[in-house]
Amino acid sequence: MAAVAQPRSPMHLLDPRVLASLSNLELVAKAAVEGFVIGLHRSPKFGFSQEFVEYRAYGEGDDPRYIDWNVYARTDKTYIKRFLGETNSHLMILLDSSASMGFGSQGLSKLQVGKFLAAALAYMSSRQHDAVGVMVFADEVLAYRPPASRSGSLQGVIHTIDQAQAQQGTAINKPMTRFQEHIRRRGLVAVISDFYCDTQELLDNVRPLAVQGQDVILFHLLDPAELAPDIKQSTLYEDMETGHAIEVAPAFMQKEYRERINAHIAAIQKAASGMNCDHVLINTAEPLEKALHSYLTFREKRG
Amino acid sequence: MSLITPLFLLGLLGIALPWWLHRLEMQTTEREKFATTRFLEASKKRIHVQRKLKYLLLMALRMAFLALLAFAFARPILFDDPEVVANDDNVHHVIVIDTSFSMHEGRRLQDARARAGTIVDGMESGDVASLFGASTRVTTLSEATDSADDIKELLPALAADNGRLDLGAMIASLNGLLEDSPAAVMLHVIGDFQLSGQAVRFADMIPDVINGRPVTLDVQNVVNTATPNAMVESVIIENRNSVSAAIRSFNTELAAGERQVHLSINGIEQQLLDLPATGNGSALVVFKDVLFGDGDNRVDISLTPNDTLANDDIRYTVFDNSPPAPVLLLTPDTSSLGITYMSAALATAPRRYVVEPNAVADFDARVLQRYPWLIIEDLGAVNATLAAALTDYVRGGGSVFAALGPRSSSLTSVPVLDIPMSAPVLGQDAVPSAISQIDTSHPSLNKSSGWNNVNVHAMKVVPAGDDKILIAQDSDTPVLIERNIGAGRFMLYASGLDNSTSDLPVKPVFVSFMAEVAQYLSNEKLLVKAQTADSYLQLTQSGGGSGQVVDPSGKSLLSLQDTTQAQDVLLNLTGYYKVFTPAGEVLVAVNPDSRESDLALMTTDTLQSWQASVAGASGNGNTVATDVELAATRTDDGDEIEIWGFFLLLMALLVLAESLLGNRYLNLKTGTF
Repeated sequence: MAAVAQPRSPMHLLDPRVLASLSNLELVAKAAVEGFVIGLHRSPKFGFSQEFVEYRAYGEGDDPRYIDWNVYARTDKTYIKRFLGETNSHLMILLDSSASMGFGSQGLSKLQVGKFLAAALAYMSSRQHDAVGVMVFADEVLAYRPPASRSGSLQGVIHTIDQAQAQQGTAINKPMTRFQEHIRRRGLVAVISDFYCDTQELLDNVRPLAVQGQDVILFHLLDPAELAPDIKQSTLYEDMETGHAIEVAPAFMQKEYRERINAHIAAIQKAASGMNCDHVLINTAEPLEKALHSYLTFREKRG
Repeated sequence: MSLITPLFLLGLLGIALPWWLHRLEMQTTEREKFATTRFLEASKKRIHVQRKLKYLLLMALRMAFLALLAFAFARPILFDDPEVVANDDNVHHVIVIDTSFSMHEGRRLQDARARAGTIVDGMESGDVASLFGASTRVTTLSEATDSADDIKELLPALAADNGRLDLGAMIASLNGLLEDSPAAVMLHVIGDFQLSGQAVRFADMIPDVINGRPVTLDVQNVVNTATPNAMVESVIIENRNSVSAAIRSFNTELAAGERQVHLSINGIEQQLLDLPATGNGSALVVFKDVLFGDGDNRVDISLTPNDTLANDDIRYTVFDNSPPAPVLLLTPDTSSLGITYMSAALATAPRRYVVEPNAVADFDARVLQRYPWLIIEDLGAVNATLAAALTDYVRGGGSVFAALGPRSSSLTSVPVLDIPMSAPVLGQDAVPSAISQIDTSHPSLNKSSGWNNVNVHAMKVVPAGDDKILIAQDSDTPVLIERNIGAGRFMLYASGLDNSTSDLPVKPVFVSFMAEVAQYLSNEKLLVKAQTADSYLQLTQSGGGSGQVVDPSGKSLLSLQDTTQAQDVLLNLTGYYKVFTPAGEVLVAVNPDSRESDLALMTTDTLQSWQASVAGASGNGNTVATDVELAATRTDDGDEIEIWGFFLLLMALLVLAESLLGNRYLNLKTGTF
């Protein structure tokens, strides 16, 4: 791990390498979100204030802390307070922990960055009183925590995220099927993955979510070495999921591979667009600002 | 193969260096993990295999290079082991049968054929045999063959010739013929092993090592004792009417009257005499009042009754009884002493000449064309008219030998040649000068000797640039010069032909000198009319084109084309050959070498010593060495051949291959292929 430079502004906390120096994932999430928030211009559009706006009926998964007991006493009905910036949505984070997510050329694997992002999203949503759940998957569901906005649920979500280890292959159909079985409310779905799967398979599994009214955002994590590989000599690459080895030449990686990976990204983007989903390509070497900003924009559009 | 310097083999450890380095590199090229290979070109897998192969090949090349380097420094040697070169079980039986003149005697040749047949019958499977005839030359009768029948079929036709066998020359010829022998050579020499056939140097009879193997010698003598023989050794003809014949007997003494001696001239027997006793092995028979015809005469001297070697009982001789050729001699005084000297000298020349003196004053120049050459005793007596005629004569192809006699002393210029001259001052104390320089390469001087004793008072002649000085004195005064004028020659002797100004006429060299001058100026070239059988007759001696040659059996030897181009012809028969020259028909008598008539044998000790010297095997001169003995000779080591040079060549090729392969490997590695 490279030595961490002395921070000069709160934004530096969005650097994955800085976040990686924090051992506690919750702390990572707080640092990332606080850093991000501090850097934002205060704006009602992106408000995180606690200014009351209205009441709404209590629903399953809502944090009971926000039930206005005075109203309940008067009306015998449970209402919860809504505040400015609050969307009262469910956020389900689907985190890919397949073996390919373990790849990283900058000292951080894609899974680590995915964890940071997932934790930051959970923390940010938690601050906005959204119910947050998480599903860790590879070729099957490895861990699942349903969305909840109760006090303490954030710690559970972050813990679940923290436990994810890169393993096995990628099969998006199983977790998606499982997710569809459990999801009952309309909400937000954030899929964090490198999407090394067949585009058609992705379409087949994400489309039902969109049909159900879920708002899906795809965080497409790729390492710089995957986006723009630069090798000086022929290299024998071993697939982290299949173990299959292939000898490639620098010339190929300079041209043909980049064309292929860009075509794949374009195909994912096109598929997402077709399903009215957002697609955010994240270079794991870059700060999380872009990801968080994209999420807020996405949340604002769908909120 | 042997490695002379084993310490250098330690250098072989150096091949571990590229192996270690390559291994290090292999260890650093472990697989790299990658998220997915789904976008990688699957076909590129073969690059790895190809690269790996090239990598290993490159390493092997580098290791081989170092190994060769170590081997080269170790100076490896290949033994040219005969056991490797050929199949040791096989023997090449080289059968050499003496076909020289002496093999005409008795049953020698039949016995030799039988011995050869026995040898080829004894050939084992895989053995080969070749057959040679040995006389003056070695003749290949059969190349190496494994068929005994092929050899035996040739034997009946094998005949003795008239040549002479020298064992040293025979071995020298065989050394060349057997260079490529396919197996170990066993040399069977079958003959009568005459004492006269033994080489002068014993070492000349030792064959070379062939294909790295010593030759095994098997001497088979078809006779055990010396056979008596008599021959006509020589014939001398004197005074054109007397013939003397020397008769020689070998290994016996002939009693008087035991044999008769016949004289035939041109095929007609003229006289018969009893042979006197051959005391000390020889006797002389003289026929008197012999009558010869004009031109070449065939003189046959024969002995009767014949002995077992009848072919040398007759000797053929040619006697030229042609009339002497006329030579014009222009002289101011037809009674001068010079004429006497010149006439005597030319009369005894091989080609006889008769001198025809003519007074210069009365000479009619128109008759010049009758003579191919002429002599002028004193060029000072020639007037301008005759000088002009002489110039025309020479320019037209005639030749002149001119002397500067007393009448030339007043001249300041040499007539005809037109070069300055002056007479020496001859006082009472004047001493003639000796000859110091002789051009012995000139045809008129290359046989005569004794010029150093000649003293001459020579006129002072200043030769022109093109004149050749053939004889000169100490003071560089020319004594004999020659100038080519047109098609003819003009030789100027700068002194007189009598003994008043020079002692040349009274010296022995004068006769031979004049004989050569006469032959040179007359442009006659004489054939040697007495030849030995199996020698070559030099046809260029006949002058001009060679002409046809007819052998004693009447067979023409030359084709029409050869009659103008042949330089020589082989005289393989005894008798008279007819040679047609521009000057007419010439006879050449051919007789066998007299040494072949001496049937004395090499001693058994000599033969055994010969065998032992060749192969180290014992023998008594009549036994055939066995294959066991032969095999015993095969254990010797062969020649040593250093092969480090080949290693260096291989190393150069390896460096080239390594460079090419290294570049390709680098291309593979960087993907720039």
